[in-house]
Amino acid sequence: MNAKDPEKLLLEKAKDLLNLGVESLGPQTERQLGDIRIRALSAAEEKRPGSFSPRRWVMVGGLAAATMAAVALFFWLSPSPESLPTGHVEDLEIITSKERMDLYQNMDFYRWLETTENGARKNGKAS
Amino acid sequence: MDSGLDNNGPLNRFLAEVERRAFQMAKFATRNRDEALDLVQEAMSQFVRHYSTRPAEEWKVLFYRVLRSRITDWHRRTLVRRRIIAWLGRPNDEDQEDPLQALPDTQNPNPSEQVLRQEERGVLERAIRALPLRQQQAFLLRAWEGMDLKQTAFIMKCSEGSVKTHYSRAVHALRGVLEEKLS
Repeated sequence: MNAKDPEKLLLEKAKDLLNLGVESLGPQTERQLGDIRIRALSAAEEKRPGSFSPRRWVMVGGLAAATMAAVALFFWLSPSPESLPTGHVEDLEIITSKERMDLYQNMDFYRWLETTENGARKNGKAS
Repeated sequence: MDSGLDNNGPLNRFLAEVERRAFQMAKFATRNRDEALDLVQEAMSQFVRHYSTRPAEEWKVLFYRVLRSRITDWHRRTLVRRRIIAWLGRPNDEDQEDPLQALPDTQNPNPSEQVLRQEERGVLERAIRALPLRQQQAFLLRAWEGMDLKQTAFIMKCSEGSVKTHYSRAVHALRGVLEEKLS
C-alpha cells in the first residue's frame, strides 16, 4: 500500500469506520436480522418445488385417486359400441354419400332447369 | 443433497455474512432503522426465492442487486410520499436521526478512544447519508464491499462509465468533508 496516497488512506479509514459501525449494531438489531434470515429461509423451504411435505403428498394422492374414479365412472356409464342404434349408421351413410355432394355441386344447374321449365309452361299457357 | 436452505446450510451462512452490511447500506439510504430492516427482509426473501439455486459465487452480486433494487423502489415511493406530505403542508419527521445511533458502546474498554472513533464514525456516516443515492451506492459497493466496476455496474443496473462517474463524485464529496474533520 502506498502510505502517501491521501485518497487511499481516506478510503482505508472510511472502510475501517464502516466496519466499526457494523460491529456495533447492538444485540437487538442483530437478533432481528437473524430472525429475518430464518424467516426468509423457512418461507423459501415451504415454497420450494420438489420439497413435498406429507400434507402435499396426501393432496396429490387424493387428486390422483379422484381422477381415476372419474375415468372409471365415465367408462362404466358410457354406452358400449354393440348397443349403437342402426339408425345412427344409416345417418352416417347419408352424410358420407357421394351422390348428396353431387346434388349440392350441381345446384345451379337444377335451378336453371326449374326456371327454364317454369318459363316454358307459362309460355304454353299464354299461347 | 444439501439444499442450502436449512439453518446450517451455505445459503444461511452467506446471508449471515452479508446481513449486517446490507442493513447498514439500507440504513444509509433510508436513515431509518425499521425501514432498513424491512428492506433487508424484502431483499432476503426475494433473493432466496429467486436465486438460491444459482452458484454460490454469484450470490453476493445477486443479493446486492436485489437489495439495491429494493432501496431504489423505497426511495421512489418515499419521494412521492414526501411530495404529497409537502403539498398537504404536514411536517415530515422521516429525516430525524435514529436515537439508537447516539447510544454509546459500553463494551469498549477505552472510553476516550471509543468516543473519538464514534465521532469519526458519525462524521463519515452523516457524509455518506448526505450523498445522492447513486453516489452513495457506488461508493459503498466499490470502497466498502470491494466490488469491481463490472460487478457494481451489474448491481446498479447502469454502465461502467456511470459507476466511475458516481464513484468519483462520491469520493470527491467525501474527501471534502472528511479530510477536514478526520485529519
